[in-house]
Amino acid sequence: MFASKRLAKELQKLHDKLPPGITLVKADDLQEWIMDIRVVDNNPIYVGEVYRLKFTFSQSYPIEAPEVVFVRDETHPIPWHPHIYSNGIICLDLLDRQGWSPVHNVESVCVSLQSMLTSNTKKERPEGDDNFVRNNRLRPRDINFIFHDNQV
Amino acid sequence: MKVTIKEWNAVAAWRWDMPDDDVCGICRNPYDSTCSKCKYPGDDCPLLLGECNHSFHMHCIFSWLRQESAQEKCPMCRQPFKSKNQEAAAPEAGTQPVQPDTIAP
Repeated sequence: MFASKRLAKELQKLHDKLPPGITLVKADDLQEWIMDIRVVDNNPIYVGEVYRLKFTFSQSYPIEAPEVVFVRDETHPIPWHPHIYSNGIICLDLLDRQGWSPVHNVESVCVSLQSMLTSNTKKERPEGDDNFVRNNRLRPRDINFIFHDNQV
Repeated sequence: MKVTIKEWNAVAAWRWDMPDDDVCGICRNPYDSTCSKCKYPGDDCPLLLGECNHSFHMHCIFSWLRQESAQEKCPMCRQPFKSKNQEAAAPEAGTQPVQPDTIAP
């Protein structure tokens, strides 16, 4: 299939070299990978914290976007951002069906998320976070996000 | 002294006329190699050059263009993807692309 060959190639490259602030934590198979990211500049909202990302790949990756969410544990909080829900679901056009392109990869997604955090100045959750976190039963890929804010 | 050649074997190498180290942006395999599904490079798994000058393995770009969400755009520059090559046109949404002649295994 498409996904396994391409992911094996990406994995090899990730083991080799990664941009600053990005680490590969776990990639035991070609279905689910864990990556850690931190913001490399001194944005006070994110200083000293490391965030954990879970990538889930379908058989059609990279034709289909991976599912990417932040995961929380004792040492990894969910980063504050007006487009990141407190359950870790990320609203970013790049990860949505309409914005994804098969030339993206795990590394470029991590870099995009890093830069999304770097440029943020608001220690906020999206509007309706409580309600969304309580009621959403959809997988991130099935949510129809409306992208209205091009600032961040 | 006369030399009589009794037998000779010709050997030829081929490669696509593309930059050396370049890979297909979709499967990340070299252009001279195949897409992720094919076994034999060359005419069985050709390249397709777009009007935007971005190229991919034909099978890779067709897999992408078959997606409704691709909106028939180039994965690199998001301009409408049109083949520069007259013979191989982009597939209609929902139909299988025309496969090139393949050699039976």
